[in-house]
Amino acid sequence: MTDSFADLPIRPRSLIVGLWIRRAVMTALALVVLLALVNRFGQRPVHSITRSPAATMRLTAPDTVRGGLFFQSLVEIRAAQAIEHPRLVLDDGWLEGMQFNSIEPAPVGEASRDGRVVLSYDALDRGDVLRIWMQFEVNPTNVGRRSYALALDDAERPVARIARDITVLP
Amino acid sequence: MDLVFRTAFVFLLILVVTRAVGRRELSSMEPFDMILLVVIGDLVQQGVTQSDYSLTGATTVIATLALLTVLTAWLSFRVRRLRPILEGEPIVLVTDGRILERSLHRQRMTVEELVAEARQQQISSLDDVRFAVLETNGTISFATK
Repeated sequence: MTDSFADLPIRPRSLIVGLWIRRAVMTALALVVLLALVNRFGQRPVHSITRSPAATMRLTAPDTVRGGLFFQSLVEIRAAQAIEHPRLVLDDGWLEGMQFNSIEPAPVGEASRDGRVVLSYDALDRGDVLRIWMQFEVNPTNVGRRSYALALDDAERPVARIARDITVLP
Repeated sequence: MDLVFRTAFVFLLILVVTRAVGRRELSSMEPFDMILLVVIGDLVQQGVTQSDYSLTGATTVIATLALLTVLTAWLSFRVRRLRPILEGEPIVLVTDGRILERSLHRQRMTVEELVAEARQQQISSLDDVRFAVLETNGTISFATK
């Protein structure tokens, strides 16, 4: 009867190759975890700030998100001068493929300007602070990079602008 | 980042729970245990990924679990003192035909279950057993006289 173990090599070459492949795969997986830890896959909020003689505007929102995630965008406006008709102008990345769950305080008016959404608020006196909380959920099919720019206008007159992008990972 | 921490927490939680539940319960799956396992899996998924439907999130979770599994195995291999915590130790249940009631009691195991295990290994009497050992994977090894 043939010995079924006789043909088996003690240390086959495939075993050594396989070991190195496993190590390479584990290194790649470790790299994925490392990138996640340093926030390359999104979710953590990033602060952007812009100052003009009339106002300081601060935007706190993640710049990278993933499908299905809930996230918050917080806009804070500190008026250095009176702004009679404060209007926030949102670029397409704010709403394209995003589920807009809530906005507090709600704007007194909404409109469209050259395809962008305009939110109107009550007048701000010098030293007033307007904080707006917006809650979103990312549509899982909304993959890509879009402009997440935000402008503050006094009626039609530009006051401050934050230029940002948002990346939705697959 | 949150995904990695949530995955690591759940990994540790499952490790603690499986060690606390005991190896016998986990090795002998009744239909109820099987359903419970599926329910736990579903709850764990919700806790880890939450509302995340992305491939990026799934990749991050799987990578974290793979790393933690390899890390645990490596620690168990390299650090002898950690082995009983991470994997447990074999427990002697029978020695020279004598049943160690205390060991059985600690594992919430009855003599009938032990005898049934012996029968499945073609051992008709525990008097013929030199050693019966509950292994770390929950199976019982028998050495006959």
